[in-house]
Amino acid sequence: MITDDELLLYYYRDGLDAAERVRIGAALSEQPELARRLHALVARLDAAAAQPEVPVPEHTMQRWRHALEQATESRAAPVRRPRFTQLRWQAAAAAVLVVALAVALQVMRPESSKTAINVPPPIKQAAGGEDASAYENGLKVHLASTERQLAGLGDASPEDRARLIETIIGQNRMYALAAERAREPQLARVLRAFNPILEDLADGRSDASAADIAQLSFELRVMQARLSAGATPPNML
Amino acid sequence: MLTLLKSWVRPDAFHTVLSERSVRWYNACLRITRDADLAADAVQEALLKAWDHRDEFRGEAALDTWIHRIALNAAIDLTRRRKRRAEEELDPESVEAGPASSAESEYVGQAFGKDLTTAMQRLTAKERQIFLLKHVEGWRLDEIAESMQSPIGSVKNALFRAVHKLRVDLQVWRGES
Repeated sequence: MITDDELLLYYYRDGLDAAERVRIGAALSEQPELARRLHALVARLDAAAAQPEVPVPEHTMQRWRHALEQATESRAAPVRRPRFTQLRWQAAAAAVLVVALAVALQVMRPESSKTAINVPPPIKQAAGGEDASAYENGLKVHLASTERQLAGLGDASPEDRARLIETIIGQNRMYALAAERAREPQLARVLRAFNPILEDLADGRSDASAADIAQLSFELRVMQARLSAGATPPNML
Repeated sequence: MLTLLKSWVRPDAFHTVLSERSVRWYNACLRITRDADLAADAVQEALLKAWDHRDEFRGEAALDTWIHRIALNAAIDLTRRRKRRAEEELDPESVEAGPASSAESEYVGQAFGKDLTTAMQRLTAKERQIFLLKHVEGWRLDEIAESMQSPIGSVKNALFRAVHKLRVDLQVWRGES
């Protein structure tokens, strides 16, 4: 016995396994009455589905055209948000310079004061007299890495950029903490100062304000003055 | 080849297909939603979505067919959202309501023909949509299940119920025994 439901699925060529299809196909070819039943069923369903088309109201058509025109005009070319505005590059560059100069201060200090620092190294867990050099070396690596990463941010995807900046920020915090322990509050403060700008960059916000950058520039000038008074410029990066 | 296809999917192609095929999209969405405003919204949503994702159009089907399918999915989605909203607002009449009582919807009801509309109205929204997607649009059962977020068994059963109701109603309508 073949039900109407099975006949219908056979007609739709859907929802039956191969064996069922073969069985129903054979029955249809052998039983004209079954074939007539299927044709009658489909004809009834066609009648139910055959609803006359209604025209599209003119105002609806105009609405669609207008929406499409707006979309094609505003999205004709894939919109690529500039990944880095000039302002942001300035902020990033300023941040790198600040870190570089801060490190310079650290590196250019008299040898005796360096060895007196008792800072847990953030990267290599050295101890005792190795602490200071481990700290400096770690900072150097961080700065070189930061510089490379910032230079490559322009080509990075938004996700990669956010991840990289997040890493830099995390490392900055770590070095700022180390600087505090090393009684270098200025270095710690400077390291933390550009974190908000980096966070803005990571979030893709464009409101890294000119005032922020001006403040960082001021910090730079102060540190440059301190550098030029006490040491030759470093050539470490 | 892909470049050629992509370059073909330009604004003028969309405008052309809109002029030529929008009546078909609109009526397909109207059958699903039974609401002129929702149908219009579904078509518009489909147009914009298709435009936004035009790079994904691989030319395996005609642009018209592609937009048609997106529009139907949008219509199903809009109907589902309206039902959910009505349920959230605890308004049983809205949940059970068919088309909105706008002038357009009344016009649509008249144009569809009273007897056939009555036969279709005996179906639940789910039965009607599944029947239309299967019998008229030719979607596969698994495609319907995916779009309607229902198990395939439930889709199959709803289809059978719809067919049974329509068959009985149309027998009465035609004076058949």
